[in-house]
Amino acid sequence: MAAIESVKKFFLTYKDTLISFYVYFVRCDGVIGFFVDGLLTWGVRERMNVLTFKKKFNLLHKIESMAAPMWRAVAQKVTWQGVSIALLTAVSTVASMDAAALPLFARQTGQNCQACHAGGKFPELTPYGRMFKLTGYTLGKRQLIPIAATLSFSSTSAPSASGAPGGAQNGGTGTQANGTPTFDKASLFAGGKLTDSIGAMAQYTFNNYAGSGHQSGRMYSNNADIRYAKHIVNDQTDLVWGIDVNNNPGFEDVWNSSGVYGYGVVPGATGTGSALLPMLLSQQLGQSVVGAGAYAYWNKTLYVDLAGYRTGDGVFSFLTHNYNGQQTYIQGTNPYVRVALTHDWGTSNAMIGYTYLDANVYESNFGAFGNVGGPTDEHRDNMVDFQYQYLSDPHVVTVEMEDANEQVLYGGGGASDSSNAFQAKASYTYEAHYGTALSYFNVTNSSNNVTAANPSGTLANGFGAFQTANLGSEGWTPEVFFMPVRNVRIGLQYTLFSRDNGTTLNASQNDTTFLYAWTAF
Amino acid sequence: MNKAILSVVLGAALLATGCSNLKSDTESTRDLNDPSVSGRTLAEQVCAICHGVDGNSTNPVFPRLAGQQPAYLTEQLKAFRSHDRSDVLGYKYMWGIARNLTNKQIDELAAYYKGQTPIPGAAKNAGLVAQGDAIFHHGVEATSVPACASCHGPQGHGHDGFPRLASQHQDYILKQLSVFKHTNDRYAGMGAMMSPVAYNLSGDQARAVAAYLSVQR
Repeated sequence: MAAIESVKKFFLTYKDTLISFYVYFVRCDGVIGFFVDGLLTWGVRERMNVLTFKKKFNLLHKIESMAAPMWRAVAQKVTWQGVSIALLTAVSTVASMDAAALPLFARQTGQNCQACHAGGKFPELTPYGRMFKLTGYTLGKRQLIPIAATLSFSSTSAPSASGAPGGAQNGGTGTQANGTPTFDKASLFAGGKLTDSIGAMAQYTFNNYAGSGHQSGRMYSNNADIRYAKHIVNDQTDLVWGIDVNNNPGFEDVWNSSGVYGYGVVPGATGTGSALLPMLLSQQLGQSVVGAGAYAYWNKTLYVDLAGYRTGDGVFSFLTHNYNGQQTYIQGTNPYVRVALTHDWGTSNAMIGYTYLDANVYESNFGAFGNVGGPTDEHRDNMVDFQYQYLSDPHVVTVEMEDANEQVLYGGGGASDSSNAFQAKASYTYEAHYGTALSYFNVTNSSNNVTAANPSGTLANGFGAFQTANLGSEGWTPEVFFMPVRNVRIGLQYTLFSRDNGTTLNASQNDTTFLYAWTAF
Repeated sequence: MNKAILSVVLGAALLATGCSNLKSDTESTRDLNDPSVSGRTLAEQVCAICHGVDGNSTNPVFPRLAGQQPAYLTEQLKAFRSHDRSDVLGYKYMWGIARNLTNKQIDELAAYYKGQTPIPGAAKNAGLVAQGDAIFHHGVEATSVPACASCHGPQGHGHDGFPRLASQHQDYILKQLSVFKHTNDRYAGMGAMMSPVAYNLSGDQARAVAAYLSVQR
């Protein structure tokens, strides 16, 4: 158990800015340590008049007084976990004191994260954020050092002996030992504005649990998106069009429906548990394929995106250094189609859309055989999605729903399988500091080739079927989170399973508590 | 090995395409750091995303700029640039936008919005509008609130540094009255004279005035 021994408060003045430090002396497992927490978001380079300054200082003081008991509670309850998360926050708040130590896009635009992210909470985008992405990340001032980074720490605990069921969800991240605080991932982002029409967002990730047996860390290339975009504006027309190359179907989209920046996107989050998700949500093709496409957004009403994906080998292999060294190989060019209708009125905006992906995946996959040909399984995905957003001050609400269906048609013979996923999430933020979210998921998987005579679901040609067990899940995830400064978020999620591994029996054994701290700079 | 070389060449080629295009395409750029870009281009490519291409924004978080007085708009953009205006949404959205604008670009932006036609909102509550009409033209004697019209003009069109308020979003006016009343975030320049006015205006009175102004042409 850790306990806070004492707290000391220090002041430091620098030019026209005053910084308050709180030093927490912590005793944990007999060892005394300390960490420093200095809450200051307004960088030392920003000028402000004395009255404004006093007011902001009072606000900081108020936030700090509210945060202190929280630190105390966290530290006392979860031993080193509290200390590590607090330490992370301390490090990141100190980092955020310098106005230059902000994420890339914030530096490029000079704007608050809140301009592009609804209520300042990633990944949900505002209409302005969507336009920023659609116009190729080119708005603002080109940065000399076009790099940013994110870090995430978390702790997962579930009563079942196997640990968190969701450890392998969300793009197949590593497995966390039950209840142990972990450093999950560090991502390096590069890109932003390159020219007036070209911009990029590329991510390179260190996953602390990606190595063999999830015991060691590994670097791998993550999502990459390069765009050329034009925006034609006149009295009658507002048309954005562009060309896009990326390595994860759905990454090009600007709503938060695909698996890339959608449901349960916090690294290591429980997501939908054990269930097999349709390709559009599972990101199984992420960092395995390369796609090129063209898109247009007309009069802020109609959005159309057409793309084709191929296996990312040869010259594109630098985009597909997968986290586990495995690659999913697909045959030929595979279509991705996205249509969305949008409407803005008053403080609200809404989208209703449809996405189609048809991927022919080699059955002899996952590295051992490589891109050798042979039979393919056709994964045909259809997804209908909806999003509503209320953007005001201080209240911001984002509601999203996805209903995706995947048919797996086996080239090696055998009955087809299906995967159906329904996901919904509502998030609310207040003053871009406090927030809560509620998510619901319901996924069903068929395993039509598994019979009494064929218990392992082997296809006629000897290959295994893609789906061999009913792994469907259903549950709810309430979440609360707090953003002490704009580039730090601390959150607590609790996932309640009413069904997991296809059964309601003992599903609640997999209920998972997930505590995380995330920062970008 | 060949693949690695190819990737490097491809990457270099991409960068070269970028670097050879350093100079702005001044017709359709979103570069906020290039003084050669015209105010009109910035208005269309950047400002329009929130304020509307014709200056009639949809979301009341963002003010309608169509027909706004150039002297007022100029002062506000310069105040964002110098950080003298620091209301919360102002600094979150506008400090970054304004940080590298030149005086010439600011003048061009002001001229662009002056040239747009304001579209008033639809009246929702006739009683509230009538109450706002009275306050706007006659003030509130009991609490020494002067008639708004005395500075903002009989039709709320403003003049010189006094902003146009007619057809402004009701929520935006309310928010700004609250900023004037409770903070010093807009104390710089002519904003100082709004503090005592807003201070003496009750919440209901502010709502009435804002409702009235939002439906004026």
